[in-house]
Amino acid sequence: MLIFSVFKTLTDQQVTVELKNDLSITGVLKSVDQFLNIRLDNIKVLDEARHPHMMAVKNCFIRGSVVRYVQLPAEHVDTQLLEDATRREALTQVKR
Amino acid sequence: MSSLQGYVDRHVLLILQDGRAIVGIMAGFDQKSNVVLSESKERVYSMDEGVEEIPLGLYLVKGDMIVLIGEIDEALDKAVDLSTIRAEAIPPIRY
Amino acid sequence: MDPSSSGIQEPFDLIRLSLSERVFVKLRGDRQLTGILHAYDGHMNLILSDVEETIMIVDVDDENVTAGSKTVNVAKRKMDMLFVRGDGVILVSPPSRT
Repeated sequence: MLIFSVFKTLTDQQVTVELKNDLSITGVLKSVDQFLNIRLDNIKVLDEARHPHMMAVKNCFIRGSVVRYVQLPAEHVDTQLLEDATRREALTQVKR
Repeated sequence: MSSLQGYVDRHVLLILQDGRAIVGIMAGFDQKSNVVLSESKERVYSMDEGVEEIPLGLYLVKGDMIVLIGEIDEALDKAVDLSTIRAEAIPPIRY
Repeated sequence: MDPSSSGIQEPFDLIRLSLSERVFVKLRGDRQLTGILHAYDGHMNLILSDVEETIMIVDVDDENVTAGSKTVNVAKRKMDMLFVRGDGVILVSPPSRT
């Protein structure tokens, strides 16, 4: 839930999603779900020349399981808040 | 909520975990992102010749095989001459 | 040992101690990261800042296949703020002291 909440606060921000097939896609984060599936608008494939496959695609849905990294805008991430939330989430996890 | 509802009845491009690219009209989907595509075609890319389109018809694609679903802007897609495109196939997903 | 909640009981407690510290992360696909750890969850999803990624690329010299004729190249990249999906994470630790 924690990471899901972080992504929800970043909707309408520009992010770059790197997939496990080495494709990198930059776009505006429109929505995210509990599986961390991502909807991006206004996408641009990095290294377009090698990947013309998506020339006609302007927005997409990316399955969470194929994501390797998401580069986030540092100025929109409150690291202190994140760390506090993580400590709290970690406490609730112990009771498994 | 990240829903595929917005793509129903639209032309979409599916990229699969083995690197295949399939285009078609999304007829339906479910919570596991299994997708039904009608009028689907596989687009095979190569460095030696233009894109080959193989008609497939009505397809059910398992959600766990899907990498991404892109909405195709039909005007842009028509503007592209597939026979001039040279590209390597998309790499498969490696965990 | 006193099993109170302030002790280290399981691996995730150890990671919790590294919050806001620089950590070393080993990933699948011959990749490594160092970065400051800001968040993690039960899947080992991570959020790191000030990240440096190192990718090992091994070239095998086919023509001279004598024992040990491999070159290891390294590609590095820096990123300000990164989410890392947990299914790629092998280990998380304090940075190695070399």
